[in-house]
Amino acid sequence: MKTRVVWSAVLVAGLALTGCGAATGPKSSPGGEAGKLVVWDWKSGEASAASYVEKAKADFARKHPGVEVEFVAQPFDQYYTLLGAAIQAGRGPDVILFNGGGQLRDRVDALTPLDGYVADDKQRLAGWEAFSKDGKVYAAPVTLQGHPIYYNKALYEKAALDPARPATTWSQFVADCAALAKAGATCFALGNKEGAGIQFWLSALGSGVLTAQEYDAWIAGRRDWKSPNVRRIFQLWKEAGDAGLNNQGANSTAMFNDSFALFQSGKAAHIIGLMSDVGHWKDFSEFLTADKLGVLDAPVVTPGSTPSLPYDGGIGYGVAKWTKVPKVAADLVRSLTSTEALQAFYQAAGAIAADTTIDVSQGGPAVATIVSRLRTGKPALHVALSSKTLELMGRLSQQLLSGSVTVDEVVKQLAASDQAG
Amino acid sequence: MPTGNAPPSVRPMTTGRTDGARVVRPGGAGARRGRAGPRAERFAPYLLLAPAALVIVVLRLYPLLLGVNFSFTGDGERNGVAVGLDNYLELLRDPLFRTALSNVGLLVLLLPVAVAIPGLLATFIYLRVPGHRLYRSVYFFPGVLSPVIVGAIFNLLLAFDGPFNALLGAVGIDAVDWLGDPGVAMFVVVGVHVWATFGMALVVFLAGFATLDAGLLDAARVDGASLLQVIRHVIVPGLARTIQFVAVTTMIGMLTSMFGLLYVMTSGGPEGSTYLPEYYIWIQQGQMNRPALASAASTVLFLVMLGVGLLQIKLLRRAGRED
Repeated sequence: MKTRVVWSAVLVAGLALTGCGAATGPKSSPGGEAGKLVVWDWKSGEASAASYVEKAKADFARKHPGVEVEFVAQPFDQYYTLLGAAIQAGRGPDVILFNGGGQLRDRVDALTPLDGYVADDKQRLAGWEAFSKDGKVYAAPVTLQGHPIYYNKALYEKAALDPARPATTWSQFVADCAALAKAGATCFALGNKEGAGIQFWLSALGSGVLTAQEYDAWIAGRRDWKSPNVRRIFQLWKEAGDAGLNNQGANSTAMFNDSFALFQSGKAAHIIGLMSDVGHWKDFSEFLTADKLGVLDAPVVTPGSTPSLPYDGGIGYGVAKWTKVPKVAADLVRSLTSTEALQAFYQAAGAIAADTTIDVSQGGPAVATIVSRLRTGKPALHVALSSKTLELMGRLSQQLLSGSVTVDEVVKQLAASDQAG
Repeated sequence: MPTGNAPPSVRPMTTGRTDGARVVRPGGAGARRGRAGPRAERFAPYLLLAPAALVIVVLRLYPLLLGVNFSFTGDGERNGVAVGLDNYLELLRDPLFRTALSNVGLLVLLLPVAVAIPGLLATFIYLRVPGHRLYRSVYFFPGVLSPVIVGAIFNLLLAFDGPFNALLGAVGIDAVDWLGDPGVAMFVVVGVHVWATFGMALVVFLAGFATLDAGLLDAARVDGASLLQVIRHVIVPGLARTIQFVAVTTMIGMLTSMFGLLYVMTSGGPEGSTYLPEYYIWIQQGQMNRPALASAASTVLFLVMLGVGLLQIKLLRRAGRED
């Protein structure tokens, strides 16, 4: 017994004296293969992406008939771990699919800047910002991801509200919610179990609360947490919870996919959803029908603010630094973002494609509204925050709903976390 | 004492092996072997121990050392740079990690309940309550379900608008947000964990009962002891070692295998109230991209487990001496 304690102590103490090595591996060295291009993604295995991949391959084969293309679909939950291993080894795929924002920006060291290759696509595609760092583009956007406020027109009719004219101001919106409650539906379907509900809230309503200058400064990294308007966003979150605008048990309701189910089954009149992948217009249309699904602009809270659609580049393809033939790989990226391929992706998967020239008139009013707002849209507010701050915000938002923290305390803690990061 | 016993148990085994080899390869080799014999015999134990020792050193100790080493380096920009105790100070300041550690304390406090439930149920089966054969198998059923499936089932049952609350509503009790109330959620998860795993402890208890002297029970009954008195004065003392064994294994189970349930049922929430150190480590490593901080948290968890383990060995040994 005593020897065991002594040995354990010696072991731990001995180790405590040193601090060398590194928890993540060393930087990579170049490698790669010519004559064949390997693409890594987590989409190409899905049935809804089959026609998209086919169109892109055909387009590329016309330009480079001699080059073989292989798509390797990785499981998404391990995607960035596997990619990290490839980056450390300095060899792996030539063309890589990324989520926009942090996931890409953390790994630009392993990517080739694409500015010279994709100049012709700059106007046609939207969402470049999420795939750029320090003024250089590292991937071309395929889809856009954002947070429209969807509403159920059938419930509006039931509550004797005009579905063609949803509320444009917050006070009007709250009044409508009272009418909807009388008709038996809660105002919002909210799933905040993962703490993601507040992220969607911040981004979807932010443009109606912050002034245009505040909004742009926030995105640019100059976030004024002392601004009364920033505080107002969290105040609204608490008020909505206290006033019973959300479904009950929001803190134990999973956003994916329990809150979506609440909206789809007509138990809630509004939901802040997504534009692509899941919880988007195509999913909702299947249950509510496309005619009864609408998208409304953020209700104006602060007079003078201009509501805009919050969205960023969703996923996009980049070219690895170690590829032997960056020009050919970049051409493959261009094929993967061609209008024809993206049109197929939009039709099969319901993704809002980065190509703004795609005709969406057959998709119903919701998708038409979303696409019409792309031109004036802005990057989402929560995407600008670090994952550490987002995690904290998730926990604090749950405390706000349960009433165990004040709004001032929340803003104070978030400011500290944001400024530390 | 394991160390005291080791040499005699090794010696006969190695001689046994060399004898076997002699049978397979007879002839001239035998003469040489006669000279090399004592030396071969001296090295044989080390050779035989080598595979097990190598597995432990390469796959257990070395990664452990690496992990402790990493915990003194930085993350991100400071990757690979020695940062001293920075990671540990950050852990100390992080309310989430403090919650995780205090939840470990809560688990220790809840241990008697987790042991008493299978013990009590095993007692009823032993005393042959009506239907005890059925219960014996039914109690073990949850033990074969994976934590993820158990979690998913209870997610449905305990949802705010789920059947459990509907049942409460039917008898006029207000709905409880079982997984959304920070004061309740941890107890719910522990309760579900106990439900899912008590079958194994029950089997151990039943095995313990098999060694119990039935004559003592009969004597107590003849003397007119009530059920409670029988449990208190006959069954519990007779099962002391079984109870200790179940306590140790249950504690280890609660500390190491609740990740799946937490992941599925609460994701550490609400308000971070159901964090355990292993969940914290996973979040820091997988979500926050902070491997060095996660290494530091792992080291702290290792020390906690070391402490709990040593304490339990001590308790078990003391109990062994009493017998």
